[in-house]
Amino acid sequence: MSISGVKEFCRPQSAGNAVELLAKHGNRAVLLAGGTFLHGLFSRGLGSGVEVLVDLQHAGLSYVNEAHGGLALGAMTTFRELAATEQVQKMPEFGALLDSLHCPPAQIRNQATVGGCVASAYTLFDVPVAFLALDASVKSLGPQGPREMPLEKFFVDYFEHSLKKGEILTDVLLPKPAARSASAFLKLETNSNDLALLNVAVRLSLDKSGLCQESRVVLGGGVGKTPVRALSCEALLNGQRPSRALFENAAQKVSADIHPVSDHRASGQYRRAVAKVYLRRTLLRAAERLGIEIA
Amino acid sequence: MSKLNIVGHSVLRTDAYDKVTGGKGYTVNLRLPGMLHGKLLRSPHPHARVLRVDTSLAAKLPGVKAILTAADVPQIKYHPVYFSPSEAASMVRDMLILATTVRFAGEPVAAVAATRPEIAEEALELIRVDYEPLPAVFDATSAMQPGSPQIYEHAPKNIVMNPSFNFGDLQKGFEEADYVFENTYRTQRVHTCYMEPRVCVVDSDTSGNLTIWSSTQHIFGLREKLAFALGIPISKVRAVKPEYIGGGFGGKLDMGFLEPVAALLSLKTGRPVRIEHSRYEDFITTARNPFEVQMKTGVKKDGTFTARSAKSILDTGAHATHGAVVLMVHGFFGFLLPYRCPNQTWEGMTVYTNNIIGGGFRGYGAPQAAFAVESQIDEICDKLKLDPIEFRLKNAHVQGEPHPFDPNFTLSTYRLADCLEKGAKQIGWSKRLPVGASPGTKKRGIGFACQPLWVSGCMGFPDIYEHSGAILKLNVDGTVNLAIATVDMGCGQNTVLSQIVAEELGVPVTAIRVTHADTDTVPFDAPSHASRVTYSAGNAVKAAAASAKKRVFQVASGMLNTAPENLEIVDSRVQVMGTPANGISLADVVKRAESPYVKMVPDGMERSPIEEKGTIMGIACLAPSSNPSPSAVQFVEVEVDTETGEVKVLRVAYAHDIGKVINPSGAEGQVEGGFQQGLGYALMENLTFDPSSGACLAADFLNYKMPTAVEMPPEITSLWVESDEPTGPFGAKSLAEPCLIVPAPAIANAIYNAVGVRVRDLPITPEKILAALGKLDPA
Amino acid sequence: MKHSLILEVNGERHEIAVEASATLLHVLREDLDLIGPKKGCDSGGCGCCTILLDGRAVYSCMVFAMSAQGKKITTIEGLPKDGKLDPLQEAFIQSGAVQCGYCTSGMIMTAKEFLANSPAPGDPEIRRAISGNLCRCTGYHKTIDAIRTAAFSR
Repeated sequence: MSISGVKEFCRPQSAGNAVELLAKHGNRAVLLAGGTFLHGLFSRGLGSGVEVLVDLQHAGLSYVNEAHGGLALGAMTTFRELAATEQVQKMPEFGALLDSLHCPPAQIRNQATVGGCVASAYTLFDVPVAFLALDASVKSLGPQGPREMPLEKFFVDYFEHSLKKGEILTDVLLPKPAARSASAFLKLETNSNDLALLNVAVRLSLDKSGLCQESRVVLGGGVGKTPVRALSCEALLNGQRPSRALFENAAQKVSADIHPVSDHRASGQYRRAVAKVYLRRTLLRAAERLGIEIA
Repeated sequence: MSKLNIVGHSVLRTDAYDKVTGGKGYTVNLRLPGMLHGKLLRSPHPHARVLRVDTSLAAKLPGVKAILTAADVPQIKYHPVYFSPSEAASMVRDMLILATTVRFAGEPVAAVAATRPEIAEEALELIRVDYEPLPAVFDATSAMQPGSPQIYEHAPKNIVMNPSFNFGDLQKGFEEADYVFENTYRTQRVHTCYMEPRVCVVDSDTSGNLTIWSSTQHIFGLREKLAFALGIPISKVRAVKPEYIGGGFGGKLDMGFLEPVAALLSLKTGRPVRIEHSRYEDFITTARNPFEVQMKTGVKKDGTFTARSAKSILDTGAHATHGAVVLMVHGFFGFLLPYRCPNQTWEGMTVYTNNIIGGGFRGYGAPQAAFAVESQIDEICDKLKLDPIEFRLKNAHVQGEPHPFDPNFTLSTYRLADCLEKGAKQIGWSKRLPVGASPGTKKRGIGFACQPLWVSGCMGFPDIYEHSGAILKLNVDGTVNLAIATVDMGCGQNTVLSQIVAEELGVPVTAIRVTHADTDTVPFDAPSHASRVTYSAGNAVKAAAASAKKRVFQVASGMLNTAPENLEIVDSRVQVMGTPANGISLADVVKRAESPYVKMVPDGMERSPIEEKGTIMGIACLAPSSNPSPSAVQFVEVEVDTETGEVKVLRVAYAHDIGKVINPSGAEGQVEGGFQQGLGYALMENLTFDPSSGACLAADFLNYKMPTAVEMPPEITSLWVESDEPTGPFGAKSLAEPCLIVPAPAIANAIYNAVGVRVRDLPITPEKILAALGKLDPA
Repeated sequence: MKHSLILEVNGERHEIAVEASATLLHVLREDLDLIGPKKGCDSGGCGCCTILLDGRAVYSCMVFAMSAQGKKITTIEGLPKDGKLDPLQEAFIQSGAVQCGYCTSGMIMTAKEFLANSPAPGDPEIRRAISGNLCRCTGYHKTIDAIRTAAFSR
């Protein structure tokens, strides 16, 4: 295997320690979170040049804390740990996380971390799309100290994020959800245990009179270089009363926002056609969680 | 027939305990002292001349013990297919162990043996190969066009073989038809996906004798092919039977590059050499050949066939390997023979391309044919408003007829009609709705497909082995050793053969021990393939048991003072027929035979008759007397999401004309597993390649989509039609392959019933369905 | 360059020296001679290598051995208690869920965690639970029977 070049295995006991190790080893070092994505790369021959592994599991980044009514997730929180929280299990606001966290099989859920998943900047992943619909932001730590940025600004291109060299992701922050919110996530895949051909995360927040006050519509999978926020759909939803007709209209609008690719797994045409269907279904799923009547 | 105590019962797998506690018997576990690790260096080019191989840097790497290039291998062209002798006229010998012209991306050009696998891998990276890339062609039709790259000198237009067969008067047949249907069907390349990788260990001695352990479906084939390719006598090769292997499905039915390379590395280093395929290597090692089948069919308005013609194009990839035989099985058992029609023509072409080579895979050409034939029949019935069940019955063979392939055999038991009836009832065929009539956006449909004719082994086929042998040895504790070359690849061969022996001998199945076997010590058995083990090897073990029983009775007759013809064995007790009180344990009989001639007793010495002495064995080596045809029908119910094209299979009913079920639970397992493979073939599996470089795009389980537990239907019902085949052990015919031949057309037909969409090329993806429903936006 | 590592496997402590790049699967099979966890794809795609890490099912081919220090590793060899098979192992035998058996160890380890957390699973949950374990022989049918039997025989 091409990772046979790995010679050193470091176990930093803090995030700061990890940053120091990255500074020391530069391009020879790679961060190890859950390891599932990393092994995926290595087993496909994409690991040459890596000589130092920096294992983050003891760096104090495994926690799920309540933060101002929202959640502060340490980067090393596993999918399983996040899925097991009261918030994700019970709150319709976090429905998109409940849905997306249960897509991969147990073996992945037990290993994969929220930080590793986000930092891979792989547009075919599911959980980051759900995070985006929940207005997540990320905290990082680098030689210049800590900083925070909205997750929307984090993804730049295929496998490219806006962290600087030597910075590590330390937290994923989810703000307190607006009142009367629900979210949902659906994924189109060929078989289970697949990367998304496309996926959709949706968040609806209603005002007191039952109109949609705010919405988030995010698509991932093969619809762009990074997950895409479907602003046209959101504009159509906002201020309106949720209904099947509204959702159908919003779904039709999604074409304007996505640039589906054609690859050996599906054509752009197919992705475009099914994006509408999946968006509609995800909106209905979120609406169901709101407990409202959908005419 | 007397009551059967063991055959016909769902006896527990004899190797299950071992497998649930770790699984010792796989070749992948084997480690020998001093063992080296071999790796193959593979060409990145799909077609190229190898100009120079510079191994000097690699040779200097500490831990590297030997390197091979084409210059180091015997220049003996061979074919790797186990079930056919090397010199067989119908096979094409176009392979070299390491070649100087590579013809598919991944063909090995060099090999290394080192003390650790990582060192061997590193050494591969240090080997410099200068290639002269040549133009490549990746589809069979283009390969036959003028101007296409010529892959071999011996095959003009890249055609390996082009057989055709005519029966009757096709022209007249079409004139007599009321309707003529012309359609073309295409199937894709898929991989067997055995879970234990291909792996071997070869050891050698200073006299050049080789011992090979390999995850293989045929130890005698491996021995013969290895000896032939190395240019050494077969007595210098001993192939050891694996206790069991982690799946084969036909994908381990030929010698790979790994075995002869490991052998040469072992001879060079004087140490055992192990080579294990990575999963990537397995994906590019063997596949089911893709086919294009052009069919023209004439029918009367009542559905009687008047004329059938087909042209089948098989892409065999860079080497002929199985391509010749797959083509013929496809042509005969897939197209010409299953139904009656006085006027038929079939033309087949096996074509070289620069794709990966084809191997064996359950069904062996028939799934491709069945997809075409059974889909077209469905299309005909739909167009002419005919009952598809009646259509099959109208054109099917009838019990008692001579076997359409070889009139020396008869269809002595043939129950297609019963299978159709049982399956139809189980699925609720009478409640099937007209095409597209299911309400809602998720539409349900029911469809079926048949495999009206199949084989129980290869008796009667040119250039294909079909004989088995078994050695039984009775032990003084009442257990029985069964030494047989048959490989258990997961279907339960060990268990079924044990059941047959146990039933014949009158002992519990737990008394049977399937023991060590290798090519030096046991008789030849043809491979575990062609749905043959229960019928063919089963007959041999039964005969061996009968032979042992005869000897038991000879010895016991003296002990019980009665003629041997009066004896029987019931529950390990040798007794006068019908009188258990007048009997002795089998163990005591064996002890008598094995004990000293003279026994010391209190008042002197006791002598037993000399004729009773000697180990009690039963040996039988024989060919089966027939090749009885099973038949099978599968009904499926699907649900098609008309908004996304996604297909779910809800229910399956499979009826099989089996002769006699030896182990019902095991037989169900064959149906259920076959459906996983068939579902994948129908809907999602596709071994795809880059159209310009030939690189494999689906060489891992992320990109090669195989059904998981979630995709499988919750209901699969197996229905057995038993008819007591007189030439089979306890009445059995075969089972294995039809389970994978019928699912794809059954699913395709069910999809048509659900949504009125006919897809004629596999896999039937959601995208193809949505496109056919007109729901894709213009590009 | 080898690093010293202490692994606790099936209740036994092992002190070994491994490469930093070695996967847990590799170390279990090659350094500790355990044959239960199997290599089917070495890329987290098939599940044949599934073991329990602190009671959680993981693909051992995707775990660096060095990360497993301090954790309780359980392989199929560690399931029997006092010489008696785990109910899952027994159920796999009885239900006919074992054909070639190569996926069996991984299936059972996955099911072991699943049943610890799901007292009365329905068939759809069982299917989802083993969605990360590929099998080419059985069609999963009797595998699900076995897991269901083990669940409800408690």
